[in-house]
Amino acid sequence: MKPAILTDTTKCTGCSECAIACQRVNRLERDIPRRWDFGDGLSAENWCSVVDAADNTFVRKQCRHCLDPACVDACPVGAMHKTAAGPVLCDTSKCIGCRYCMMACPFGIPRYEWSNVVPYVRKCVLCYDRIKAGGQPACTEACPAKATIFGDRDELLAEAHRRIRRNPGKYLDRVWGESEVGGTSVLYISGIDLSFLTYGEHFGKEPLPQTTTLAMESVPFAFLGMGAAMGGLYWIIERRNRLQAEKAAGEAKGQREPEK
Amino acid sequence: MDRVVRLKLVLWVMVGLAAAIATARFAFGLGATTHLSDATPWGLWVGFDVMGGVALAAGGFVVTATVYIFKMEEYHSIVRPAVLTAFLGYVAVVVGLLFDLGLPWNIWHLTIYWNPRSPLFEVGWCVMLYLTVLMLEFFPVPTEGISALASLRRFLLTLRIPLVILGVALSTLHQSSLGSLFLIMPYRLYPLWYSPLLPVLFFISAVALGLMMVILESHVTAYLYRRKPETGLLAPLGAATRWVLAVYVAARFGDLAARGQLHYLASGAWQAKLFWLELALMAILPLALMSATRFRRQAGWQGAAAAIGVAGVVLNRIDVGGLADIGRGGPLYAPKWTEIAVSLGIVAAATLAFLFMIEHFRVWESRPADPEADPRKLPEFDKVGFTWLGTPAVAGRVKYSLGFVFAAGAGFALLGSPLAARQGSVPAPVHRARGDAGYLRSGVSEAASLGQPGELPRGVLYIDGDLTRYGVTFYHQREIERNGREKSCVLCHHMNMPHDQDSGCYACHRDMYQKSDASRHDWHASPHGANLACVECHEPGYARTSAHVKPCADCHKNLVPAGATIEIPNYNAVSYVDAMHEVCNGCHVKVAAREKKPEIARCAECHKGRLNFSDTRHYLYSPHAPAGRLVILPPPKVSEVH
Repeated sequence: MKPAILTDTTKCTGCSECAIACQRVNRLERDIPRRWDFGDGLSAENWCSVVDAADNTFVRKQCRHCLDPACVDACPVGAMHKTAAGPVLCDTSKCIGCRYCMMACPFGIPRYEWSNVVPYVRKCVLCYDRIKAGGQPACTEACPAKATIFGDRDELLAEAHRRIRRNPGKYLDRVWGESEVGGTSVLYISGIDLSFLTYGEHFGKEPLPQTTTLAMESVPFAFLGMGAAMGGLYWIIERRNRLQAEKAAGEAKGQREPEK
Repeated sequence: MDRVVRLKLVLWVMVGLAAAIATARFAFGLGATTHLSDATPWGLWVGFDVMGGVALAAGGFVVTATVYIFKMEEYHSIVRPAVLTAFLGYVAVVVGLLFDLGLPWNIWHLTIYWNPRSPLFEVGWCVMLYLTVLMLEFFPVPTEGISALASLRRFLLTLRIPLVILGVALSTLHQSSLGSLFLIMPYRLYPLWYSPLLPVLFFISAVALGLMMVILESHVTAYLYRRKPETGLLAPLGAATRWVLAVYVAARFGDLAARGQLHYLASGAWQAKLFWLELALMAILPLALMSATRFRRQAGWQGAAAAIGVAGVVLNRIDVGGLADIGRGGPLYAPKWTEIAVSLGIVAAATLAFLFMIEHFRVWESRPADPEADPRKLPEFDKVGFTWLGTPAVAGRVKYSLGFVFAAGAGFALLGSPLAARQGSVPAPVHRARGDAGYLRSGVSEAASLGQPGELPRGVLYIDGDLTRYGVTFYHQREIERNGREKSCVLCHHMNMPHDQDSGCYACHRDMYQKSDASRHDWHASPHGANLACVECHEPGYARTSAHVKPCADCHKNLVPAGATIEIPNYNAVSYVDAMHEVCNGCHVKVAAREKKPEIARCAECHKGRLNFSDTRHYLYSPHAPAGRLVILPPPKVSEVH
C-alpha cells in the first residue's frame, strides 16, 4: 500500500481541527508570526495549515510527500530520505543545515528554525509512527467533515476521479498531485485552481531529480576526460618542446662544428 | 600613511566588524543576524561567499594549466600569486560556509554520510580535495627556508604535474557543479537564469573570471607595492579572456534562444534589467575593452576591464544564488547589513593573509620592500620638502589594533538587540491612547459606543501583539483611575528601560495561565485551624501531592453555588484562561449535545483560522456577551494595519 491523503477542498469548512490535531500529536509548540514566515501559516512549529483561499475556499497545506522527492535528491548527506512506508523524513542527526532541501522543494514546504542557535529543518512527517502502527495521520483522523481522508494512493486517485465524474460542475477536472513532478502522496481536488500551492505555474510531469541526472552522471566522465585531456596535452607539448630543443641543440652543434 | 598601511587599516576595520557579528551569529543564530527566510533560505553567504568565492579562486587552475600543461613559461612569475589566491579563496569559501550552515559543526558528515546523487555532495567533496591539492601545490613556498622539509618539498615537486592535472579536473567538476546545484529548481529560478546548460555556463564564466582575477590582482598589488604593472605580460591573457567571454555570450544567448525565452529580455521586469546589468558587467563591457588593442595594452584600462568583469561574474553568482528567485509569497530578500559585513570581513581577512604571504615569503620573484620591515625605524621627513616619507611599523600595528577593536565595538553597538532580532517578531500595531480624548488611527470610528461590533469607545487601546489581526481592547482611562491616577503611569511605562518601554499585559495579569491554590494548606493542617490528618484529604499510600487529593467540594458542599458555570474538579482553582473557556464552552458543550450539533463545541468555533489561541472569535458577536471588558475585535483589513 502506498499511503496517501486526498483533500477535497469543496468539503473543507476551514475549522482547523487538522492543524490542532497535528500540533497535539507531534508535540509542536505555539508559534507567533515571525519575520521569516512565508505567509501561508506553515512554520517550523506548524506542519499543517489551512489557507483561506479565493472564493470562500479553504485549502489545507502540508508536505506533499512526493513519490520521487527533490529534497531527498538534493540532501548532500542523505539526511532527508524517503522511507519504505512512504513518508519523507529528515534525519536530524545527519543534517548539516545547508537548507538545499528548502531550495529544492517545488512546493516550498520545509521550514527552518531560524530563531534557534541549533536549527533544524522541520516539516510534516505524515505521522510516520502512527501509519507504521497501522493507524492514520492525526489530521485526517481529526477532520470532522471528512474533507481530508487517508488511504491507499491508487484507491484515493480512483475515488478522486469518481467524485469529479459524478459532479463535474463542482470540481475542476484535475487531481492535483496525480502526475506533477512525478506524483505526490498528498492529492487535492478542488473547485478552484490550486497552482498557488506551488512555485511555478505549470509543473511538468518529470520528477525533479531527473533534472540533475545527466549532470551528475557525467561527473566521472568529465573528471576522467579532463584529466586525460590535460595529461595528453602535457605529453604532446612536452614531447614537441623536447624534440624542438634537441633539434635546436643539434643545429647549434652543427653550426658550431664548421667554426672549429 | 603608505598605501599598504592605509589598505591594511581598512581591512582590519572590516575584520573587526565581522568579528563582532560572527560572535552574534554563533551566539544567537541565523535569524538574528541575517534576512534569510523560509521563502529565501539561501542568500548572500551562499551567493557571494561560497559561489562567488569559488569562482574568484578559479585563477589557480587556469594559470597552473597555462604554465605547466600548455608550457607557456613566460607566465611562470604569476603562478605563485595565482595559486596563493586560489588557496586563500577556498579557505574563505569554507569559512563563509561555516557561517551559512545551520549546523556547521556537522560539516564533516559529508565524509561519512554519502548521497552521490546530490550536486552539493559532489561540490563539497571537490572543494575538500581541491583545497588539499592547492595546499600541496603551495606548500613549498612558505617552507622554503626550512631545510628539514627539503626532502618533502622535492617529493612534492615530482608530483607537480599529476597535482596540476588533478587540480584542473577537480576544478572543472565543482565549478560546473555549482551550476548543477540549481538544475533541480526549474520552477524557482527566473527563466532568464534557469537553463539545463547552467553547469557549462558556470564553467566557462569561471575560466574567464580566473583570467580576469589574475589580471586584477596583479594590477592591485602593483599599485600597492609601487611595482611596475605587468601590462605587457598580461595583455595576451586579456586577449584570451576575450575569446572565453565571446563563447560565454554566444552560449548564453544561444541557450535563451533555444529554450525560447528571448522574449523575457524585453519584458521590462526587474529581473530583465538585472540580467542586462549582469551581462553588461560580466561580459559585454570587458569584452569591448579587451577587444580594443589600445585599451588592452594600457595598464589602467586593462585593470578596469578585469575589475568590471570580476564584479559582473560575482553578481551573476549572487543572482543565481538567491536574487533571481521567482518568489512566491513571503518577505522579499535583501541582505541584512550584518551579512554584508561578514562577507566583506572574510574577504578582508583573506586579503590580509595574502599581503602577509607576499611580504614574508617568495610569492613573487622578489619580495616587495616591506613598508614596515624595520620596527626600529623612526618616522622620517624629507629634509627639503618636509614630506612624510614613511611610517614606523609599530605605528601601523597600533593603528590596526585600534581599528580592529573600535570596529568590533561598533559592530556590537550596531547589532542592537540580537535577542529581539532572533525572535523575528514584527512590531505590533498598538494604537496610541490619549486618555478620554484618545483617538484611534486604525480607521475605527472613535465616537461609537460599546456594543456595536467593530467600533470602539473613546480612550481605548486596541492591542494586537501577535499580529493575528485579532486583538484585545484596553481601557486606558479605567486603568489609570483604578491604579491611582498620576502615580500609575510608571506601572506600565518604564521610561528608563531601553527596548522595554511598556509592560506587557502579562506583567499584571499573571494569573492568565496559572492555576492557583484554592485552599490554604497550612490552615487545614494546623492544630489551630482545621487540624486535619494528612490522610483525611490525601489518599493513603500515594505521594502527598495535589494529584492525589480529595476535591474540595467533597467537604465544602456549598462552595460552588447551584447553577454556576464554573466547576471545581480538584484542589487547584481554575486559571483565568480555563475560567474564560468555561464561561463560553460550558454552555456550548451542553447545547451541542442537546441539539446534536457537535460543531458548536469545537475549538475552531471560537478560534477561527490560525492556531494561536489568543485569536478568539469576536466575543461581541455572541448573544451572551456581557457589557464587559474583554472585547475581541473583528480583524481589520490588512491594508488598514500596514
